[in-house]
Amino acid sequence: MSEQTIVGTNAPRVDVRDKATGQAQYAADIQLPGMLYGKVVRCWEHAHARVKRLDLSAAAASPGVVRVIGPKDVTAKRYNSSVLDLMVSESMHDMLGDIDDQPIFTEHVKFQGDAICGIIARSEEAAERAAAKIVVEYEPLPVYLTAEASRAPGAVQFTPEKPGNLAFQLPEAMFPNHALGGGDVEGAMRDADVVVEDAFYVPKQKQCQMEPHAYVAKVDSGGRLTCWTSSQMPKLVQRKLAKLFDLPMNLMKIVPTVIGGGFGTRLGMISEPQACAMALAVPGHPVKLQTLREEDWVISPSRHPGKYWMRIGFKRDGTPVACDARFENYKGGYYLDASGTAFTAGAWLGGMYRFPALRYRGESYFTNQGLTGAYRGYGNPQTNFVLEQLIDRGCAELGADPVEWRKKWHKGVGDDGWCPGVTYPSCALDECLDRGAAAIGWTEKRRKYAKQEGTIRRGVGVAVMNHTSGAMPMLLEHTACTVKLNEDATAEVLFACSDMGQGSHTALKQIAAETLGFPFEHVQLSGGTSDVAGFDIGAHASRTIYVGGAAVKKACEEAKRQLFERASLQLGVPADQLDIRNKRIFVKADPARGIEAEAITRAGVYHFVDPMTGEPGGVPGQIQGYVSFFAPHNSPPFGASFAEVEVDTETGEVRVIELVNAHDIGRAINPAAVEGQLEGGIQQGLGFVLSEEIDYDAKGRVQNNSFTDYKMFGPEDMPKITTILVEDADPIGPFGAKSVGESGLVSPVGAVANAIFHAIGIQFTEAPITPEKVLKGILEKGVRDYGTLRRS
Amino acid sequence: MKNRDITLHINGEAYKLNVAVNRTLLDVLRDELGMTETKYGCGTGECGACTVLVEDKAVNSCLTLAATMDGKRITTAAGRADFGRLDHIQQAFVDEAAIQCGYCTPGMVMKTASLLAKNPDPSEAEIRHALEGNICRCTGYEKIVKAVKKAAQTMPGRAAAQAQPCKEVVQ
Repeated sequence: MSEQTIVGTNAPRVDVRDKATGQAQYAADIQLPGMLYGKVVRCWEHAHARVKRLDLSAAAASPGVVRVIGPKDVTAKRYNSSVLDLMVSESMHDMLGDIDDQPIFTEHVKFQGDAICGIIARSEEAAERAAAKIVVEYEPLPVYLTAEASRAPGAVQFTPEKPGNLAFQLPEAMFPNHALGGGDVEGAMRDADVVVEDAFYVPKQKQCQMEPHAYVAKVDSGGRLTCWTSSQMPKLVQRKLAKLFDLPMNLMKIVPTVIGGGFGTRLGMISEPQACAMALAVPGHPVKLQTLREEDWVISPSRHPGKYWMRIGFKRDGTPVACDARFENYKGGYYLDASGTAFTAGAWLGGMYRFPALRYRGESYFTNQGLTGAYRGYGNPQTNFVLEQLIDRGCAELGADPVEWRKKWHKGVGDDGWCPGVTYPSCALDECLDRGAAAIGWTEKRRKYAKQEGTIRRGVGVAVMNHTSGAMPMLLEHTACTVKLNEDATAEVLFACSDMGQGSHTALKQIAAETLGFPFEHVQLSGGTSDVAGFDIGAHASRTIYVGGAAVKKACEEAKRQLFERASLQLGVPADQLDIRNKRIFVKADPARGIEAEAITRAGVYHFVDPMTGEPGGVPGQIQGYVSFFAPHNSPPFGASFAEVEVDTETGEVRVIELVNAHDIGRAINPAAVEGQLEGGIQQGLGFVLSEEIDYDAKGRVQNNSFTDYKMFGPEDMPKITTILVEDADPIGPFGAKSVGESGLVSPVGAVANAIFHAIGIQFTEAPITPEKVLKGILEKGVRDYGTLRRS
Repeated sequence: MKNRDITLHINGEAYKLNVAVNRTLLDVLRDELGMTETKYGCGTGECGACTVLVEDKAVNSCLTLAATMDGKRITTAAGRADFGRLDHIQQAFVDEAAIQCGYCTPGMVMKTASLLAKNPDPSEAEIRHALEGNICRCTGYEKIVKAVKKAAQTMPGRAAAQAQPCKEVVQ
């Protein structure tokens, strides 16, 4: 490891100078000649209704309007804006039951903001004016905001394909009794000495990426449709759009733009189908579709809320004997990602502790809430809020120390991870717990706060988590990468996966430079449009460095192999005895003997036969390394979070004083970028547990679609943050790296909830834990010293 | 809709414009002048992505009517960089890894400039308070606060911050 000079350093970020000056081009910044402006007319007054009458004529006659298109002017085919269905085999797809249920423009409004028709005009203002002239009459339908309501007998069916509005439950064919896990749960619970059980509610959180979604689409004279989009999954969006519009993929081009934050909201499509439908209506003209913030709020998918019930049995000595859980989540009006989170919430549960018996049931029900889909963590914060609180309740009743209990019973190397049969290759969670505990002053503060007086109470809490690095073997983990060496021995790496701002392109460039033995500055990495770059599944499941980095490394190793093969002919030494540093190839045993890489790359490109002798000058051909790489594993990362909170028992306010995030990330390719992921994750995790939730009125209309009414942690709300990178190189990940993108937000959730428990002796089953809920809890149960809670 | 003739002094150059009185400064910068470095984040003054300097004061350009800015000196993020050479605030954001997706960054840079113009040596609490109107969803603010501290330490002499005379550009 010590030999590496580029991996492990805070190499300068490749994208940030353009971002600092504002020159980075996001989708909304694109201006093209002849560009027209699109506007999607949406249903704002109802969350569930049928369109009785739609009259586009007045809008079509409005000044500056080019075309108005409704449901009858676009393909009747439906789509699924998520991409999960493309990431599994056909047989698994059939088993999961994923469906295409989204129309481009709807006649059955299933959530507030559903698209009714589209306007194409010469200016945004003209499009807005015309939108006000669309005449639409609705027949309101009953609004279902919970699973209980939508599955009730006689409820309006969202789609004939899913009777009872049950969008998804773990399929019997894969999960006997529709349950993940195994062992005799009921029997084990009967034998348990202590059983803790509760019904929880987990909230609907919004990604709140700073860039509202925007698109440009255009059909050229050859019939090729191009879509500029900030999707996290450009290649899968290419395939989805090609299928929707009956185009061969070569006529469906995707140009990925700079991404202004994703956090899952761009995992798949949002309004690409509407933008492309508009472009198809006006061939030759680019159409820009800029989503307003309040529009983005209701149309882009959010985190799955719902009811989460769990019980855990322990022996008196702390041994866990069984865990039984059920997550009943509320979809929005359409299917997208219905199978994903319902499964993964249980997968993260299964991956955490060594329960001899485990039963998890996951179900998704349609409701008339806004759409739900991928959000950073993908079911993990929901499980963390429930599991980690119940573990601490068990620890309190057993008199066990929550850190020691977790060290004893968490899964580790050789145990099954989230997918049975795929075992953990590395785990440094004990070190995360030890270093995190030391950083927060665990032992002293646990004792000190166990008995307190006064109205201001303090507490410290801990929570742990496991996640994944790519979703193999459940989902396809495939990346193609090409590296080509220029004649001056510089390298160009082509890799289709987008950098969402997390710094992945910088880290991938570090991996490429390190592998090739080239200086960082002599490697260029390009995302590439769909017609140039090879296949890549996209940025999901925290996979970009673990899977993409491995692909980049392999492509660079192939280029280096060709380079060494040619050097070996020149030096008369077998290739395996060569090494390269700073573009000079040398004999390992005799470093003075060597050749500059440039001499080989130049001779390969500018290849001439000596006119005097007829001898060739070196080996001909430009060196290119190519790999089509499938990840062999998912090396999960682990993390431990510690929180110290202060609860004002008179106002119910919870102030987070310190948050320690200690994470086992395998190896940090770029430590500053890794810290950035863990720090940013804390802000979103704190929001999940304390302040963030989308509210609906009884008619299903969003009540807080603005940054004023939806409460995120601001700079003054943030606690003192301590980030600890635990580096225990994974045997599989590139240079030992595991993932970090999602994990940072997960365990702060449980740690804060457990710190509140420690401070006032009360657990809260509904997130976010707002001051109102804290006060209500205190009034109902009274503040209790943690030290008095032991029962056994 | 009424129009008005105005002159905006943007990043050292004067622009003579005829704008509808309901046009925001953000729309004029982005749509009429192609200065897309100033970002649309919410349109309601809640996120700060569209922050520019008017004279030395940070304002949300999405809430500011362009017609009211006649004769004013306006600075955007691009105006603080000299053909790719970053100013000390932008450099501090780069050096401290305070930029992830970058969408809030131009606004953060402008808000920092206005803070440091008023208070060249802010405490951490003052920095956090000043940034309350600028939302970042990527960084948890940790490295942004560090970047502002560094920018304060690396701020060049006050003379450099004086306005440069404008050369005129007719639109």
